[in-house]
Amino acid sequence: VSPRVLVIAGALATALAVTVAALPRAEAPQDRVERIAAELRCPVCQGLSVADSPSDTAREMRALVEQRVAEGRSDDETRDEFRRAYGDWILLAPPLVDPRGAVWLLPLAAVIAGALFVAARLGRAPPATPPSADQLRVLRERALADEAIE
Amino acid sequence: MTWADLGGGALRAALPLAIWGIVASAYAARERDGRALVSARWSALAVFALVVVASLSMVGALLTHDFGIRYVALNNALETPAYFSAISLWAALEGSILLWTTVLAGAVAFVAWRGTRALPRLATTAAAILFAMLSFFLLLVVTPAADPFTRIDPAPLNGRGPNPLLQDHWLMGLHPPLLYLGYVLFAIPFAYALASLILGEGGDRWIVATRRSALVAWALLGVGIVAGAWWSYAVLGWGGYWAWDPVENAAIMPWLVATAYLHSVMVEEKRRMLRTWNVALVVGAFALTILGTFLTRSGVVNSVHSFTQSAIGPLLLGYLTAILAFSVGLLLWRAPRLADRGPIGAPLSREAVFLFQNVLFVAATLTVLLGTLYPLAVEAVSGAQLSIGSPYFDRVEVPIALALLFLMGVGPQLPWHGASRATLERQFAGPVVVAAAGAIAALATGLRGAAPVLGYALAAFVVATVVQEVLRGVRARRALHAEAATVAFANLFRRSGRRYGGYVVHVGIALIALAVVTSQAQVTQVEATLAPGGSLEIGGRTLVFERLRDVVEPRRTQVVADLRLVDGGSGSPLTAALTYYPNATGAIGSPGIRSSAGEDVYAILAAYDARSRAWATFQVKVIPLVSWLWIGGLVVGIGALIAGLPPSRRRDAVVAPSTVPASSPAGAQ
Repeated sequence: VSPRVLVIAGALATALAVTVAALPRAEAPQDRVERIAAELRCPVCQGLSVADSPSDTAREMRALVEQRVAEGRSDDETRDEFRRAYGDWILLAPPLVDPRGAVWLLPLAAVIAGALFVAARLGRAPPATPPSADQLRVLRERALADEAIE
Repeated sequence: MTWADLGGGALRAALPLAIWGIVASAYAARERDGRALVSARWSALAVFALVVVASLSMVGALLTHDFGIRYVALNNALETPAYFSAISLWAALEGSILLWTTVLAGAVAFVAWRGTRALPRLATTAAAILFAMLSFFLLLVVTPAADPFTRIDPAPLNGRGPNPLLQDHWLMGLHPPLLYLGYVLFAIPFAYALASLILGEGGDRWIVATRRSALVAWALLGVGIVAGAWWSYAVLGWGGYWAWDPVENAAIMPWLVATAYLHSVMVEEKRRMLRTWNVALVVGAFALTILGTFLTRSGVVNSVHSFTQSAIGPLLLGYLTAILAFSVGLLLWRAPRLADRGPIGAPLSREAVFLFQNVLFVAATLTVLLGTLYPLAVEAVSGAQLSIGSPYFDRVEVPIALALLFLMGVGPQLPWHGASRATLERQFAGPVVVAAAGAIAALATGLRGAAPVLGYALAAFVVATVVQEVLRGVRARRALHAEAATVAFANLFRRSGRRYGGYVVHVGIALIALAVVTSQAQVTQVEATLAPGGSLEIGGRTLVFERLRDVVEPRRTQVVADLRLVDGGSGSPLTAALTYYPNATGAIGSPGIRSSAGEDVYAILAAYDARSRAWATFQVKVIPLVSWLWIGGLVVGIGALIAGLPPSRRRDAVVAPSTVPASSPAGAQ
């Protein structure tokens, strides 16, 4: 088998496996509870979520989430209930669509701007000119003084 | 003479010597004056000795419970065991700054004695900068800002005892000093970079000279972070190891920038490019170590690691501002000498991958910085309170981490300047097939979600590229030097440690990635309230609750739940406890952890019947592969050690050219 076929087949198989893994699936009520609880801040802890904290308060809050899920409330309804009680502070991440959602956009903007900046500077480097005697000496000294840099 | 006299006196003697060191080394560098250099060297050594005396005095005061010293009274008690007394040197602000100063003084002495031998002018200039930084920290410890030897009179009969979180696990003796060493050692490449700018050098001598210190600082910081994660897992009792807490963020930021730096300097060494960028990265990494200290030591942000507030906040902020202003000013002044000429390289070249990797690392750092500071900024502007926690960081950092894993596999396989299609196919055929196998294996074990499965595929991809490189290297050595396979294997690491040590680090990171993905995605959790004799089922095991007992010690009391973990056979004992310290309101959880290569059973005592001990509530988690996180950290450390050791000098005998393969494999280049 030629290397090209292997690369294409391997990449396709990986993409297929990741797609299968990403297929939407019915969420078990317990998973929903965990997901919502992970987005709520434990009010008596240092930055832990309700899902992570073993504290009494967090366990009571999780029980309430469990109850709301069992009652068939939507995620947003449950979240809003906590928001009304504690303020925005109770959510561990601001909503995407929100004046404060800029916090989501800035990292994306940084990656895109950086990648464009780098891409604009790429190009085939000019053919290497033979090194001068001086450069050769420096290189040789460096190679002796240290390991060879690949 | 008391410990306070000895330690305080040593610090007060050290300050003028350090200031003299600035003058002497600056003069020595400017006038190429040998006598001034000798004077600077001896002051560096004297300052280091004095600061070591001060640190040891503090340890002595803690061990002998000298409560006439405020720091000892606040962070030690008669009941504190010797080990935890000694490590209380870094239990609070003043002691931590003292430790910091000690490490920095060591770095100054190292540069003044060793560094100046190789590069007299550059290292002497760097020493002047380091002396200036050291003087700042000495100023902190001899003034009320952070004087560790402040006295109280009359001395209390007993002290308050260390922060409970710091006297609960032996890892506290390891995690903070590793971090401090890592933080402070970044000062060496930073000082050399500035010295190079001051002297107007256009070259990369400063990078070559500080390659090892940068690597050591990076490795200590990395291992320190993993040790901290392990401590969090073993002590905080929530079954996790990383909470995006401000102090964790403060530690990861310089590490991320330093990782970018360690790679981008290779572009400068190889291609003479990115000079400005590399200086900016080293300044960034160093400034972030100070920013982290400021954020977490000034009380600006709350965290499990916060110490009491003190006047040190504004001073650290001033120091940070001065460092940034000085560095940026120098960089702008010298930028014309550092300009790159011509394009960087083809899109499919190693230097291009390094650059994209740099973009991702910097973006990852900015995200952490933004997430840490955003709530503060919003509150300052609008007064509104909001939280930024794991859901935000996970959602932004996971895609960046996956992209970095991908580049980690791609980069080392690409040649400098650019690759042909045939090279690409030859380099990636094996690894891509292994990646597919990794993804399918992840699906087969029940893992779902695009990110975890992609994480498996990419970790497998990285490991496959490393295995391929090592195999090719062994084959090349066997052909070139007629070595046996095992000898050739060992020689790869001895002769080309920088390259193959780097690969070992990559394998460590891949292990960490696998451990994080699996332990996050596949946790099984059961909560149950049991009476003695009751049991719960989890992951095919039975956990039997036998009884609760009270353990009273002089320094603490514990409520211990005796459990039996039955996994076929008669089972083995496991204890989960809640520990109460007299100086803390809440209990410290001491989870029962049964570790194995495959998974950890993690039992938390969440609540119990306070009156009659008739019931207890347990949260039990089965967390797969989590121990590979610590092993991965160790592998990263070993890789860095291989990369940092001086390579063996002996020349290799080369066998007759007729046996050299026609197409030289990548590993032999």
